Amino acid sequence: MTVIRAFVSRSAPLMACLGLLAIWQVAALMLKTDSFPGAWEAIKAIPSILGDQESLINILASIRRMAIGFSVAVLVSIPLGLMMGRSRAVASFFNPLLMITYPVPKAALMPIILLWLGVGDIAKMLVIFLGVSLPVIYHSFQGAKAIEEKMLWSGAAMGLSAAQRMIRIVLPAALPEILTGCRTGLVLALITMVTSEMIARQSGAGNILFNALDMGQYDTVYAMIIIIGAMGIGLDAAFERLRARLVRWSEPGFEIPLSFA
Amino acid sequence: MKLMPSRPNVEAKAAPARQTGAAMITIDRVSQVFRTSGRREHLAISDISLTIEDGAFVSILGPSGCGKSTLLYIVGGFVSPTEGVARVKGKAIRGPGPDRGPVFQEFALFPWKSVLGNVMYGPRQQGVKSGEAEAQSRALIEKVGLKGFEHFYPKELSGGMKQRVALARTLAYHPAVLLMDEPFGALDAHTRTRLQNDLLKIWERDRKTVLFVTHSVEEAVFLSDRVVVMTRAPGRIKQIVEIDLPRPRRRSELLLDPRYQKYVVDIEGMIDDTSEDELRP
Repeated sequence: MTVIRAFVSRSAPLMACLGLLAIWQVAALMLKTDSFPGAWEAIKAIPSILGDQESLINILASIRRMAIGFSVAVLVSIPLGLMMGRSRAVASFFNPLLMITYPVPKAALMPIILLWLGVGDIAKMLVIFLGVSLPVIYHSFQGAKAIEEKMLWSGAAMGLSAAQRMIRIVLPAALPEILTGCRTGLVLALITMVTSEMIARQSGAGNILFNALDMGQYDTVYAMIIIIGAMGIGLDAAFERLRARLVRWSEPGFEIPLSFA
Repeated sequence: MKLMPSRPNVEAKAAPARQTGAAMITIDRVSQVFRTSGRREHLAISDISLTIEDGAFVSILGPSGCGKSTLLYIVGGFVSPTEGVARVKGKAIRGPGPDRGPVFQEFALFPWKSVLGNVMYGPRQQGVKSGEAEAQSRALIEKVGLKGFEHFYPKELSGGMKQRVALARTLAYHPAVLLMDEPFGALDAHTRTRLQNDLLKIWERDRKTVLFVTHSVEEAVFLSDRVVVMTRAPGRIKQIVEIDLPRPRRRSELLLDPRYQKYVVDIEGMIDDTSEDELRP
């Protein structure tokens, strides 16, 4: 029984994916329109995209922009968020700015940014940066704010300076919350990456997708959707593994031999 | 060497520590005002003067909200007093320092560090070499009864065990004064009793100066050389009671000792005296 149960729970994500593809295939066969190819046709188009050097360069360019935008955003947002969480003055200065920018769709800023910076990499990376930084700042802020004051006092009594307390107590203590923000940020990076390429067509995964749409190559369109989706799943899974390793100490219910008092 | 105030040694346990110790902490006319959210001023403690000698175990006892923790935070340097000055070894306190080690009711352990990592943190910060710090820390962990749990994370420990780690973590950097802020307040009665016994055993061995905040009369009498009874807000010193009971103290003997019982009853009476009429809106 337990073997079967373990197998079912392991293979559940795969089953879900296969089920979705099956429904897609059936729906496509029933609708029979050109703009909605079946799952099988879309999957068949994937090797030709990934085999094509130009498409590959496009996709790698997207990933590069995303990686840079994401990294810079994380490097800026974590210190800012932590400082906001520990200083009322810093928080009251930046909070209104964040409240204004939070609900604005970052893609809506794209035309303005294009006007300033042109259609190149910088504009797209800036949009990714904006998309990623807000959730990371917010979660770092919340994480730093929630820290038990006495933990910092204990550090101060051991002789840690304010800067040392920030790096050696606030940062690790807020890490679970920070990484939650980073995980949201990673998905948002992917979304803003695609939308930025939709608006500023030049290169990238989004560019392939929307060009194919313009030319009526629907199997390529859906193949690209699958590729981008797979990238999302892959990145998220990889990040989740990293996160689980880093904050093992905070995870609830990991093998606790509580047979003692 | 003769000029140094001599620490009472274990052989001289018949003599109470306070007779041989020089002043370790002096609290001089200290008051603390907090500003509440409604821009009202709340006088937490008022005009407190107190001297604690080297090697003495002094408890601050009072009802909740009497500012007894505030007094401890001032000595710790975590809060600066609105008026007056607190000194440690004659030097005005300007902030926290490794000469005063806090143990909080909330434990305040570093959850990302193992038991060993927590205890080693202070010595490492003080520049003790890693191997040496580890050896000292392992010995301390054993001393507080947690041998075998070195690599557990705080999350995996019970409240009593967490507080043992917190005590070891503070003892590890050799503070001259232990500041204990209702350390056993969050524990169940049984665990509390065990930790009191163990604390007493450890303390009677190396006789550090202890400032111990509690609202339990029995706990204060059982542990202390002296009990400082405080009034309700604003906290003032109502009375100071010298606890003249022999050491080493054993709970089983003490509970039957009429002198112990009288101290408890007397001090309970003092607390009852400061009742509703002293409460202010």
